[in-house]
Amino acid sequence: MRHSLTLRIGPATFRVGSAWRAPVDDLARLYADYPQERDAIADFTVRLDPTSALRRFFRPSIHITGDHGLADAAPMSLAHGLLAAEMGMNLQMALGWRRHLLLHASSVEKDGRALVMTGESGSGKSTLAAQLGERGWRLMGDEFALLDCVTGALHPFPRLVSLKNKAIDVIASEVSESRMGPLLAATAKGDIRHLVPRADAVARMAQPAMPALLLFPRFGGEAAVRPVGQGEVFMRLTQASTNYVALGEPAFAALSRFVATVPAAAIDFPSGDAGIALVDQLWADLP
Amino acid sequence: MTTHHYRAQPPEALLVRPLDDLTLLYHRPSGQTHMVVSPVPEILAALQQGAADAATLHARLSREFDLGDPAQAQAEIAAHLAEMAALGVVSRA
Repeated sequence: MRHSLTLRIGPATFRVGSAWRAPVDDLARLYADYPQERDAIADFTVRLDPTSALRRFFRPSIHITGDHGLADAAPMSLAHGLLAAEMGMNLQMALGWRRHLLLHASSVEKDGRALVMTGESGSGKSTLAAQLGERGWRLMGDEFALLDCVTGALHPFPRLVSLKNKAIDVIASEVSESRMGPLLAATAKGDIRHLVPRADAVARMAQPAMPALLLFPRFGGEAAVRPVGQGEVFMRLTQASTNYVALGEPAFAALSRFVATVPAAAIDFPSGDAGIALVDQLWADLP
Repeated sequence: MTTHHYRAQPPEALLVRPLDDLTLLYHRPSGQTHMVVSPVPEILAALQQGAADAATLHARLSREFDLGDPAQAQAEIAAHLAEMAALGVVSRA
């Protein structure tokens, strides 16, 4: 690849190669404070190549070779190249990671204990985690939470936060412009801008935390807290994991222990401030 | 109707983890996770006393639980046993 970058996010090392300079320059700027290990052996390789469609391979080394939009429209390659690289890294993790039980969840930490939030895309878990990350919590990740099957600890994966549509203005209004990526307009998921996590989230990305609370957030509707039975929690977490079956018995042991020991609730919230207030209240009520 | 006898899996084959509202079973030979509710955990526990058919299990379970109409309860136990055998969490003796 003509342009490349090797960077570490949490425990995973990625080598991103690109036929264009711009996406790698974007990554280099946004990931400037992350460990960049030129000579490291990467866990995964992501390639941005203009010669064929964006593809998925069910192997750890995925070639993202640029979709038709990338190939056809040179001006779009700059913006969507960054999105392709982020999607590529996510796919690598989702399909190839085996060292932890991977949960599709956001997580934040305070006083050594982690709050985990999981839900469908659009539930608000990512935005809520980003907002908490600006209000005294350490952002551990907006997309993937990595559960250690032996210790039960949660490991951070603090990649760039992917902000979508209305969440963009909410967050952009309270962080410096230098922490925001370029606006990627009209992607398949709407408008997207990436947020660089706060410096402490990056500096402490090797520090795990024990999970203390699990929430199923849902943006919209009156503020409400509902209990969720352990059976439903277990089922939803297996659905939120891409590698539960692949990891076998260690994953069963870790997840059943998580469900039996970590209190869980579903929350509805009409606004970010209301969501944060609910989180603070539930956190304060923990034993 | 043929009466089948069933026995429990060896202890190392099945991990049983009760949660607050259901019980998780991890079946090691298949690597499959099953989520079960009453009376499956109770039937598994009763089989620990030795291989049995539905009538014997009914007798064991009725010592602890009020099972209602005996004929119906026994038929339900037989149906559960057949399903549990299909999953591999019990075996035909």
